[in-house]
Amino acid sequence: MKNKTMLIRAVTALLVTALLAVTAACGGGAGGGAGGDSGGPKVSVGSKKFTEQILLGEMYAQAFEDEGYDVTRKLNLGSEQVMDKSLQDGTIDVYPEYTGTAYVAILKKPPESYPKTAKETYEQVAEFYKNRKDTPMQMLEPAHFNNSYGISMLTKEANKLGIETLEDLAAKSDQLVFSSYSEFQNRSDGYPNMKENYPKLDFKEIKIVNDLGIRFKALAEGEADVGIGYTTDGQLASPELKVIEDTKTIWPIYEPAPVVTQELLDKNGDAKKILNEVSASLNADKMRALNGAVDLEQEDYEDVARQHLEDEGIIN
Amino acid sequence: MNEFMNVLQRPDFIENLRLHIEYTVLATLLGIAVAIPVAILVNRSDWGSTVAINVGNIGRAVPSLAVLVLMFPLLGLGFDSALFALTLLAIPPILINGVVGLRQVSPQILDSAKGMGLSGRQILQGIQVPIAAPIIFAGIRTSAVQVVASATLATFIGGGALGDYIVEGFQRNSTAIALAGAFAVAALAIITEVGFGFLERAFTPKGLRIAQKRQRAGK
Repeated sequence: MKNKTMLIRAVTALLVTALLAVTAACGGGAGGGAGGDSGGPKVSVGSKKFTEQILLGEMYAQAFEDEGYDVTRKLNLGSEQVMDKSLQDGTIDVYPEYTGTAYVAILKKPPESYPKTAKETYEQVAEFYKNRKDTPMQMLEPAHFNNSYGISMLTKEANKLGIETLEDLAAKSDQLVFSSYSEFQNRSDGYPNMKENYPKLDFKEIKIVNDLGIRFKALAEGEADVGIGYTTDGQLASPELKVIEDTKTIWPIYEPAPVVTQELLDKNGDAKKILNEVSASLNADKMRALNGAVDLEQEDYEDVARQHLEDEGIIN
Repeated sequence: MNEFMNVLQRPDFIENLRLHIEYTVLATLLGIAVAIPVAILVNRSDWGSTVAINVGNIGRAVPSLAVLVLMFPLLGLGFDSALFALTLLAIPPILINGVVGLRQVSPQILDSAKGMGLSGRQILQGIQVPIAAPIIFAGIRTSAVQVVASATLATFIGGGALGDYIVEGFQRNSTAIALAGAFAVAALAIITEVGFGFLERAFTPKGLRIAQKRQRAGK
């Protein structure tokens, strides 16, 4: 009996110790990163919390480090509102934002009014940032790829049915099963918008599958004919999948560009060049491959970002 | 608040609520159908009981989401995969409580039943099962509540149910939508818990209830 009590005490003590250790580790680990004190100019890089954003943030960070900056990483923050606020209160100096997202969420313009070209979207958004009263900031050069909704099908099936554009898809939709997700079906710029612009759209069945990986798997297994994700999802790098073209531009154009405080640019003459170089090194195919390396091959963000920057000769 | 009410009034809300209840009822019933016969089969054998309890415990440790993803290539998207995973989840508590409940009937009682000339079957039906009933019911109740909570995972594999709203709220950064789903799930869980509490009492044999009362009064 006594032994049992001792055992229970010992186990409890062990568990409590383990719990404390874990808590301490979590508390200390958040927002960490390499960034040893190199004595160079300081910069704090942020990003939202999904693969492509973290990769972009990591690339900015490594490009800065290569130029001798002392970088603090705040990757994995939150929504565009959180990011924008962090820029204003000085928590971060730079983060990647999509032109279309900024147009709707930061400029607070009605979604119907979005410009139809990438250039004009960028110009309007950049103009807004430059003339901002509270905290002056700039949106630098965007990377020229559009991370929009990506409607995809198996290449084989699309070719068999002769589907190239969403128009073609709508015409054949009564014989197709669409696997979608809750957000897309219910937000006004999602499925309702698609149906309004392509009125013939009427799928045989819509299956709500709230997991991106399983949605793509469902296409591969023939459980659904049409899937939805984003145009730069790693899965779309495969030639077996085909992105159906949106010829009517029913969604704003989402090109990622660094948004940076004027203060950082004023203090450091080379900051602009460093960030623009990263943007210039990317296109849709490259971004898909990089996203895929993280999401599908389970590689580390740092390694994937470093490999890309080295291949492009931005760091060495 | 407005958005919260809007979600409750969506035409698909009732459908998903119904689906959620359907998952719970079917998975719990299937869980009972599998676990109780196994418990009865193994309860006379020490070795069998140990194996059953350990298999049950291992089963509890497998994440439901993993089962969903594993079942997908076999059963495809939607209802079947989700129901299968939820049934697997429902079995362990019923199995463990069934085995433990049947085995904790005191040997003296079983001996006297044998002495009275009852057959094995009569002992099981007339003595063991009624005495074990409250424990078995506690297992079923645990299972049912667990299934209510886990049926939210069906949304990841095209199975619908209330998880749709929780995930949608998360994706759209809308607490109202997520709460509409979460409240409905919580309400279902509480109703299940309370409902089974009543059933548990109803199925406790009168003799046991009196004994329990005396025990409580005596202390």
